[in-house]
Amino acid sequence: MAELTKKIKLLRKTSKTFLWISLVLMVFSTIGLYFYVRNLLQDEVEEELRSTEARIESSISENSIIYQLPPIVEVESVSNLGFEHLKDTLIFDPSQDEIEEFRELITYAKINDQNYRITVRALIVESEDILIAVVISYLIVIFFVFIFLFYLNKSRTQKLWNPFFKNLEQMKLFSLTSETPISLMDSDILEFSELNTEITTLTDKVRSDYKNLKQFTEDVSHELQTPLAIIQAKVDTIINGEALNDIQFEQLSSIQNDIQRLKQLNKKLGLISKIENDQFTNISPCNLNHILKDRIENLSELYPSEIIFESNEDVILLMDAHLAEVLCNNLLSNAIKYNLPNTPIVMVLEKDSLSVRNKGIRAILKPDQLFQRFYKESDEVKSTGLGLAIVKKICDLYGFQPSYRFTNNEHHFTISLPKQ
Amino acid sequence: MKILIVEDEKALLQSIANYLEKDGNICETASTYEDALYKIDLYEYDLLVLDINLITGSGLDILKLLKKNKKETATIIISANNSLEDKLKGLDLGADDYLTKPFHLAELNSRIKAVLRRGKFGGTERLEFNEISIDTRSRTAYIKDDVMALTRKEYDLLLFFITNKGRVLSKEIIAEHLWGDHSDMVDNYDFIYVHINNLRKKLTDAGAKYIKTAYGSGYKFMED
Repeated sequence: MAELTKKIKLLRKTSKTFLWISLVLMVFSTIGLYFYVRNLLQDEVEEELRSTEARIESSISENSIIYQLPPIVEVESVSNLGFEHLKDTLIFDPSQDEIEEFRELITYAKINDQNYRITVRALIVESEDILIAVVISYLIVIFFVFIFLFYLNKSRTQKLWNPFFKNLEQMKLFSLTSETPISLMDSDILEFSELNTEITTLTDKVRSDYKNLKQFTEDVSHELQTPLAIIQAKVDTIINGEALNDIQFEQLSSIQNDIQRLKQLNKKLGLISKIENDQFTNISPCNLNHILKDRIENLSELYPSEIIFESNEDVILLMDAHLAEVLCNNLLSNAIKYNLPNTPIVMVLEKDSLSVRNKGIRAILKPDQLFQRFYKESDEVKSTGLGLAIVKKICDLYGFQPSYRFTNNEHHFTISLPKQ
Repeated sequence: MKILIVEDEKALLQSIANYLEKDGNICETASTYEDALYKIDLYEYDLLVLDINLITGSGLDILKLLKKNKKETATIIISANNSLEDKLKGLDLGADDYLTKPFHLAELNSRIKAVLRRGKFGGTERLEFNEISIDTRSRTAYIKDDVMALTRKEYDLLLFFITNKGRVLSKEIIAEHLWGDHSDMVDNYDFIYVHINNLRKKLTDAGAKYIKTAYGSGYKFMED
């Protein structure tokens, strides 16, 4: 299984990337700029020193005047010529009355057979001030440029991805059972447009498959009715015919039983597909007390054990009256089918729940599959395996919560009803 | 009684006709929409058994025409469609009953008789079989003019037996009739036996031994 990665929003992600890149760019460009400007300034100072030195040399050779302007210019006669060198040095500057950093160029020259050492200096402070000024102004400019670009970029991205976000919302709202096809926002971006086409094709296909499946179930259950009717009519005719023996009658009777099961299966499948097709729109206030009392009265006459009904107040639900009856009926039938002989069935209706309980020997093995189609616990009881699936469908339709538990040797089926 | 059966499945049509003819009814059949329109236009019937899903037209249109011509014909719709709307639509148009396919012929027969008993078709609400008589309006059964103490289900059972007298009724047919439309409990025949035995005992106690066992597990209501 693929490891789950931490999810981050698209816009956040792009902003974050942009911010990181800007930061790195800013740091590196500032460093680059710093060294470049420093070199430039150093070259400038060096050139200036050299030109001053050249002027001094030529002035000495022409006029033999020796300038002295410490600490900027110092000329001394020396016995030997040394090597020229260029360095930074700290010297006390009387005009500033403090120690200052100078760039110093020392050259040796032989002018008119006299050896001179010429020292020229320039204050570094000046060039450093310029360097800092340049870097700071660069930083300020680039910072504002980035801020501007950041917001520009953000709004552009937002605009660019807008169709994507809109369509994502549409897809979240998409429902298989909905009659209306998905409506996506068109975009001038080719990839988005292609994505839309693909999504539309896919959802249309899924919807039509789902619809076909539902239609198929409905059609099959409908189309089976007629041949079943013919078989049943023929069996009825044979039973009333001449020359039957007991064994033949027993078999015909068993065929009738199987036809009956097919009829039930058909009827229930038809009901399920009708619920799925949302064909129960006749919604009215249904008094569950009345429905249950009626159903219980109806069943009590045939069912020998007691059916106890406990209810303190009227529970009125907004739902299709037929489905309300089916819901109550299926819960009751289920309890009757699986009840132990000569034990009562207890039905309790409260403001927020409807529950049925009946005695049983052991808990249901797979309670999580209980409400699925064709779930059967055993072959002991003949059942279509659809009764509880229908209960679940009806609950889903109206937002009720069905649940099952087994305590004190009793099966409890509870439907949590929404607050009215 | 003169009955017209409109049904496009010929096998089903024939079975229904045969079953109803045994009670001395005169049955005519129509297997197409056009045939049905023609016969209704030409003849008078006491009862119409009408399939609404005909290949060339809707049975509901036949019903509309019948009502437009103010014919006093009782109508029972038989349909493969068990949706409530269709049922309501049919009853709104003036049908007297609605039966979803597949059904037992005995069930159709008892519905037909119930419809015909209603006053407006000139029937009587009193049903008689030898010393037994049933007042269907008050839902009371009498035996030699004494009221029988029957439960609701026993009364239904007796009525079902008498309307299908002389026919073999399997426990499946009886169970389906008793449980009615709404239940899938038909497999529980044990409950049915209790009611049949109770009714049989009450009848036998009054000297009416009409419920006979047929082929071991079936029943037949008939004179000795």
